[in-house]
Amino acid sequence: MRTNDAVSGAIAAALGAALIVASADLSPLPRQVYGAGTFPTVTGVLLLLVGGLLVVKGLRDRQPWIRWTAKVPLRAFLKALGAVVASVTAYILLTPVLGFPVVALVILSLLFQVYYRRGWVLSVSIAGISTAAIWGLFAQMLYVPLEPGLLEWVLYP
Amino acid sequence: MTDILEAISLVASWDVILVIVAASLFGLFMGAIPGLTATMATALLVPVTFFMEPLPAIAAIVSATAMAIVAGDIPGALLRMPGTPASAVYADEAYLMGKKGKLGLALGINVTCSMLGGIIGVIVLALFAPRIAEFALQFTSDEYFWLALLGLSCAILVSGKDPLKGAVSMLIGLTIAMVGMDSVSGQVRFTFGSYDLLAGVSLLPILIGLFAITELLRSIPGSGHGAPKTDVPPGCVLSGVGSTTWRYKGGVARGGLLGTMIGALPGAGADIASWISYAISRKLSRTPEKYGTGHPEGLVSASAANNAALSGAYIPALVFGIPGDTVTAIIIGVLTTKGITPGPDVFTEQGALVNAIFLVFVLANLLLLPLGILAIKGAGRLLTVPTGVLYPLILMFCIVGAFSANNTMFDVWIMLGLGLLGYFLMENDFPLGPLILAFILGPIIESNFMRSILKSDGDLMAFVDRPIAMVLAILAVLVWTLIIANGVLKPQSKGGSTGKSNDALNVANGK
Repeated sequence: MRTNDAVSGAIAAALGAALIVASADLSPLPRQVYGAGTFPTVTGVLLLLVGGLLVVKGLRDRQPWIRWTAKVPLRAFLKALGAVVASVTAYILLTPVLGFPVVALVILSLLFQVYYRRGWVLSVSIAGISTAAIWGLFAQMLYVPLEPGLLEWVLYP
Repeated sequence: MTDILEAISLVASWDVILVIVAASLFGLFMGAIPGLTATMATALLVPVTFFMEPLPAIAAIVSATAMAIVAGDIPGALLRMPGTPASAVYADEAYLMGKKGKLGLALGINVTCSMLGGIIGVIVLALFAPRIAEFALQFTSDEYFWLALLGLSCAILVSGKDPLKGAVSMLIGLTIAMVGMDSVSGQVRFTFGSYDLLAGVSLLPILIGLFAITELLRSIPGSGHGAPKTDVPPGCVLSGVGSTTWRYKGGVARGGLLGTMIGALPGAGADIASWISYAISRKLSRTPEKYGTGHPEGLVSASAANNAALSGAYIPALVFGIPGDTVTAIIIGVLTTKGITPGPDVFTEQGALVNAIFLVFVLANLLLLPLGILAIKGAGRLLTVPTGVLYPLILMFCIVGAFSANNTMFDVWIMLGLGLLGYFLMENDFPLGPLILAFILGPIIESNFMRSILKSDGDLMAFVDRPIAMVLAILAVLVWTLIIANGVLKPQSKGGSTGKSNDALNVANGK
């Protein structure tokens, strides 16, 4: 999704203005005019300046406000975006309750089913092997504390 | 001499060798699959390197990136689809050689010249880095402030077609770097009351978000069953390679040296090195009309340049702690988390480690030949890996990798947010390279600025009262003048990221 440079420039300028306002509360070092607010203020001013230049450029070049320029169709992108956002959100919300093995198995099975399209048996089988491999690498070899959840009694009897 | 012997003993341990071989195989796989980049390979490796000693961690990243660049040549020659942006410039040339029945020669040249270019890069790195480090020992916080600022500014200038967009990208990186507790005053900045943000945003979820999730969002829509089985060259792939390489030996040397120099420039990586080297080779050629018809001359030069650039990027990274590209930015991040701050002091205090890194480079480049041949032979099967299985697996790996940074789900949210931001930026031609370089260099610039200002009791003139600092300051001001003038005066190109070269540049800047 490509927007007019004026749009991205305006967002950048707004971020710059927000930085300047937020930095005003930061106090300088004792007996100095510089401190924790100096850099954010400079960054904010530069964002305002560069964002402003982009706005001028976008308006001058009369680019369309918004258009789809990616090589893939918008529908396919939205499906992928939905799949990624839903997978990550589901992982974050469900893993503390159900545990990594169950959540990863379900997410991977669904994704394989959507993108590999070779039937549920194969999708679940590959997902099972993949989940076990990731668990082995991260939880067993690298000691990352992945949540065992419902399968705690199986994994750590 | 003691340092060198110690370096040999460090590298000759089984864990380092094993890591080099395993990381090379990983890089080979990542590079050979179109859409998976060398930087993505590095980002995915970082969670694993967190659990390693500094040398194996660097060895893993060096080997994986070098191999990924070489493996990226294979789908380019077989399918006309460059595996990584660094191969994009000569993918057509190699493919057309294959159509003429010279596929083995094209891929053999890719592997051999990549190895030679890589070795040239290592020699330059080993010869010059210690000398520059000796000189850099005189630097104070004034020079470091200007140097980091200059590095960042150059990155904007070379990293994309619109310097204004590079500047916005850099400023976003600086903003993210400022989140958390200020290291000088101890004040808390922009945390919105979140305890998770007190220590700042971690490098790992940013890397994975920007370089893996962003790429997944671009690749998943086209995923499915993988490429159809392709024919790989029969017999020995090195047949005829020696004589062709020797015929164009000047091109190999030029590509190697040029690649190293371009790699040393902050923001310019392997992709830009191969584009420039190919263009120069064509300009200097006696038969420029043969370029683009399946002619090996440009292939020789560009293959040498992209791998040499990888080594070149380590010169500013090791000597000044200023990354030359996104991969070295990651390396600096990894080293810093291990308590090693790259800079001239590393050369005097940890000489053995520095020499061991050079040796790792040599080993990784020598391994390119056998593993490259293996990759060519296995390419037919490798390319059939179904992307509909691969991409979801990478997504799960990303989630777990981001979580492993601090064992908190907050980092997984950060990864997702940065992935979405990265996608928007890439689609709008904002390069990602300056963002990650700014995230790494931001704290260096700020802390050196504050140190200098405290030393001088608030006198800004102290920043330019030493000759080197003054030269660096003038250069930084010149670069910023160029950025703004270029951004304002340059006419807008129509159509956005449609050109092949721009695509490659864009991916590479995020690469």
